[in-house]
Amino acid sequence: MNDALTISGLTKNYKDFVLDGISFSVPSGSIVGLIGENGAGKSTTINATLGLIQKEAGSVSVLGKEELDNEIKEQVGVVFDGSNYPEILSPRKLNRVLKNIYQSWDERTFLSLLKKLSLPIDKPIKQYSRGMKMKLAISAALSHNSKLLILDEATSGLDPVIRDDILDILLDFVQDENHSILISSHITTDLEKIADYIVFIHEGKVVFSKPKDELTEQYGIIKCGAAQFDALDKSDIIVYRKMDYEWQVLISDRTAMQKKYPKAMIVPATIDEIMLLYVKGEK
Amino acid sequence: MKGILLKDFYIAKSGIIVTLTALFVLAFGLSFLLDASSILMLAPAIATVAVYMSITNDASSKWNKNVITMPVSRDQIIGAKYILYLLLSAIGIIVVLASLGIMSLLGMTITLYSLLFNAAIGISAALFAGGISLPCVYFFDAEKSQIVYMIAFVASTGIITALVLLINLFIPVKDNILLAFYIVLAISFVCFAVSYKIATAVYRKQDIT
Repeated sequence: MNDALTISGLTKNYKDFVLDGISFSVPSGSIVGLIGENGAGKSTTINATLGLIQKEAGSVSVLGKEELDNEIKEQVGVVFDGSNYPEILSPRKLNRVLKNIYQSWDERTFLSLLKKLSLPIDKPIKQYSRGMKMKLAISAALSHNSKLLILDEATSGLDPVIRDDILDILLDFVQDENHSILISSHITTDLEKIADYIVFIHEGKVVFSKPKDELTEQYGIIKCGAAQFDALDKSDIIVYRKMDYEWQVLISDRTAMQKKYPKAMIVPATIDEIMLLYVKGEK
Repeated sequence: MKGILLKDFYIAKSGIIVTLTALFVLAFGLSFLLDASSILMLAPAIATVAVYMSITNDASSKWNKNVITMPVSRDQIIGAKYILYLLLSAIGIIVVLASLGIMSLLGMTITLYSLLFNAAIGISAALFAGGISLPCVYFFDAEKSQIVYMIAFVASTGIITALVLLINLFIPVKDNILLAFYIVLAISFVCFAVSYKIATAVYRKQDIT
């Protein structure tokens, strides 16, 4: 399987933050969720990938090319947190503008998406709700024959109904196996619904990059007391966290662990819990 | 680039209409007080205010970030603003010339000399002001672009005065007024072109977040 996006050793230094050798890929036909707390480096990674900021080391290959030229940009749809279109414009005017920017602009697709998503075509964007603005931005990103969609916190601050609508659009987009999505979000429940792979960034480094099913179906949390915790084989522990009344231990294979520790209470781990344990737990 | 210019026209449309109408009316109004063609000195600068409206809007809507991801180069993004600036300067001159033409038809005396003299000063001032302010607003604070432009315009009048005094060291300006101001005009075009080169060179390496 070819990769739509390959990031290798991406590094960017700021005074108070370092993006430290980020590496992961987005296989064609898949959705990759980029997770991490605020300030972890998700947006910096996306900004460097899109050429918004200069990288200091590493390489980024988008749709097989390392140079992000206009030909590649035509095939990459980008949605940021907010519409990022001049709010004085209406979608009709925006259509005229983008028609003159993208050679592959598909007016019919754009107008049909507006209709499908009930977005008024002549209403200025400033009168749109936040959810409508995000739907408009996604409609624009899908209207120039994009093969790769990159979304940076596109669902944050939206109500569950709108988020669900947007997730449906994204799932629909990847029905074509040549289409891929990189989506950063700190709403991990959204990614649990749609992502094929999860990349977790913490303090500028990739903590893990794994298939989502491996995380949700194999990872687990042992909830135990101090004595039971002491009895655990330390090589089975990925990270652990001492709570008020219990210990929480993240393990990578809950079926195997259940056999090894039949009396232990092992529960499936959500991506949120895995992220929390990595960030707040100890090794 | 056509799409970016179209977007700028949509944003600045109301500003363009207001300033051009004001120029047209001002030309008539001033004709009762002084030489009507003197409005040519202000016309290009007034007409280009709309460029800064679009720059401010780009910054507040974060269009600057979005457009980088589109199939346009950074040079084209900067170039579009410089082209818009020149276009609006030219439109400002044309609007005033149109109003002066109407006044001329109504019997007012307007000399070719005053037209050339005032237009040379007006275009020079606008080009110096644009040449100074356009890179500044991009690299410092785009949301205060209109203030930066006003300061740059004041600075441009100082530059013109300084240049005229400098030229006077070599050519007696009083006897060659048009020639002196054409030299200033030529220098202003060079400055504007150099400003574009500097702006694109810096913008190519600038982080946009």
